[in-house]
Amino acid sequence: MAAPDDIAIIGVAQTPAHDCYDNTEPTLLMAVVNQLLSEAGLERSDVDFTIAGSCDYLSGMPFAFVANVDGVGAWPPVYESHVEMDGAWALFEAWLRLQLGDIDIALVLGSGKSSPTDSRQVFPLQGDPYFTAPLGFDPVSYAGIQARALIEADLATEADFAAVVARSLADGATNPNALRGDPNANAAALLAEPHLSAPLRHHDVSPKADGAAGVLIARGERARQLCADPVWIRGIDHRIESHHPGLRDLVDAPSVRLAADRLDLAAGALDVAELHVTHSHEETILRRVLGLADTTAVNPSGGPLCGDPVMATGLIRVIEVAQRIADGSAGRGLAHASSGAALQQNLLCVLEGDS
Amino acid sequence: MGDIPAVDSTLAYPYTRTTGPVIGPFLTGLRDGSLIGIRCGEQVLCPPLEFDPATGAELAPDFVEVGPGGEVVGWTWVGEPTEKHPCADPFAFALIRLDGADTPMVHAVEADSIDEMVTGMRVQVQFRPERHGAVTDVFFVPEARAEHQSVVPGDEAVTITEHFIGVRMREEIHPFRARYYRALLDGRFLGQRSPADGKVYVPSRGYDPLNRVPMTDADDVEVSDTGTVTSFTQITPVQYYGQEETEPYIRCSILLDGSDSPVSGIDIRDLTADQFRVGMRLRCVWRPPGERELGDVSNRWGAIPETVYERWEPTGEPDVAADLLKDHNF
Repeated sequence: MAAPDDIAIIGVAQTPAHDCYDNTEPTLLMAVVNQLLSEAGLERSDVDFTIAGSCDYLSGMPFAFVANVDGVGAWPPVYESHVEMDGAWALFEAWLRLQLGDIDIALVLGSGKSSPTDSRQVFPLQGDPYFTAPLGFDPVSYAGIQARALIEADLATEADFAAVVARSLADGATNPNALRGDPNANAAALLAEPHLSAPLRHHDVSPKADGAAGVLIARGERARQLCADPVWIRGIDHRIESHHPGLRDLVDAPSVRLAADRLDLAAGALDVAELHVTHSHEETILRRVLGLADTTAVNPSGGPLCGDPVMATGLIRVIEVAQRIADGSAGRGLAHASSGAALQQNLLCVLEGDS
Repeated sequence: MGDIPAVDSTLAYPYTRTTGPVIGPFLTGLRDGSLIGIRCGEQVLCPPLEFDPATGAELAPDFVEVGPGGEVVGWTWVGEPTEKHPCADPFAFALIRLDGADTPMVHAVEADSIDEMVTGMRVQVQFRPERHGAVTDVFFVPEARAEHQSVVPGDEAVTITEHFIGVRMREEIHPFRARYYRALLDGRFLGQRSPADGKVYVPSRGYDPLNRVPMTDADDVEVSDTGTVTSFTQITPVQYYGQEETEPYIRCSILLDGSDSPVSGIDIRDLTADQFRVGMRLRCVWRPPGERELGDVSNRWGAIPETVYERWEPTGEPDVAADLLKDHNF
């Protein structure tokens, strides 16, 4: 099989993570789309393929993903696709689509309004319909089980979790898009808080937000024509584990390891890694399985623990890495996105600037 | 938005799921007082699966009774149970490996406090007095506290399991939509005019969808309460679950004078299809001021609540020619 074509990110945009956005989801997307097109100097008709990642369950609105096409501009008819997934998986499909070689530019979006519903009551519905969904078994409880297993395997402590949160909050304080941040966050104070799903505390769980994000990607020469500092997608891969919690090794992340091996992640140094950490203990697992060096900056944006616009969060990890490569502060970086619960499904994207 | 109520609704579906050759026996077991696993090579899987998780090969229906006791191999203390959890008070979600099984299942342990929970502890299943052939028929307790139960089995094997799913959502009415509703209470139709191309939308979505331009209150415009039927259909109600309608009625779209987009989904019950035409002129007859109500509001659906007007009345003006309406049908 021929080597995949060089595809680059030529533009990025994200809205702030809103606690509760006082307008519709298409409006969030429209802001992102308008910014991407105007900054790239493109018209909507220049985009060959559009794909969005979103989930109607978050807003409780049937066909929300159809109304969302208003954000892109639904007339004249647009060649578009949708995944009921985080926008990072929309990026995967766009990258795959461009491999066919007949089109050059794709618009990738991720968005969600989580504010109308309680995600702890919505997300059990993605679990096994016979064995876990009727119990309302939710991602926070699942994460709590995983976090405790990590502690009992001597792979982490509650203090480690608090340290992740403290560092993330401090970094989030300088991120204008973050929902929360605290330049003075300190692990000892965090540890004094009561548990939510022991051993996890409220701050160990990402704050769900309303928001949207998008990227423009283009192939080879077209990317160079459109952008002075294209960020090349050197590899993108995603893998999934069993959806039965009892069949998984919760202190490991085999799907992450498999994707990392497929991408030959170890082949070069990583200056930055943005990880889709929605529960603080997940960072411990990911650092270990990815083999991240101490020299790799992890979640310099503050990460999802500072703001989690569900369905855009994974794509925003790509955006945060791409921005740091485009502005020259990083050369090679990794974006990680996750789906399912407790790191069941994982996507890795390796990005690199022109050397 | 203060005077306009928030949207507070529940999206609910009564799912009935077939259970098949493996989950059926498992749920039948729960209803009848036993826990069932399935052989998979050298192992016993519980909960039982139809396929070998490693190879995908179909498993023979070689069932094994497991439990009633087992070991907690993982757990968390649920300090703030949700409405969907099996227990209203704090409890543990745990991975429980039942005696005789090699894989653990997720379930609830009703312990008195987090201090009772420790990985490796023994728990025992308890069967609820009312059972329906679902995983919620049982729960677990620390073994020392398990009560001896004598469970009366049911008659037929469980082949269908019910799962009532409800998702509650609450959303404030967005400002642009609140202005539209306030105008209705005032006996007026409020739309928005695009600053890009001048087209008027009623009701507006808060933006110009053709040009991708957000709109603000500066773009609000009032349109007439008289308009033209641009399309209609006669609905004959199908008696599906939850259907409240019984008699046929008209659903139409009306292009209000001054608007470029018709208001759709207007239901007419006091005119019959033979009295109705595309191009027909109708006027909204409002309820008296003070008698107008919004009913269930929404940020997206239900263009004109029927509780603000009495009816749509033919004006008697000549019909508008259909070909003048072809860009405003829907």
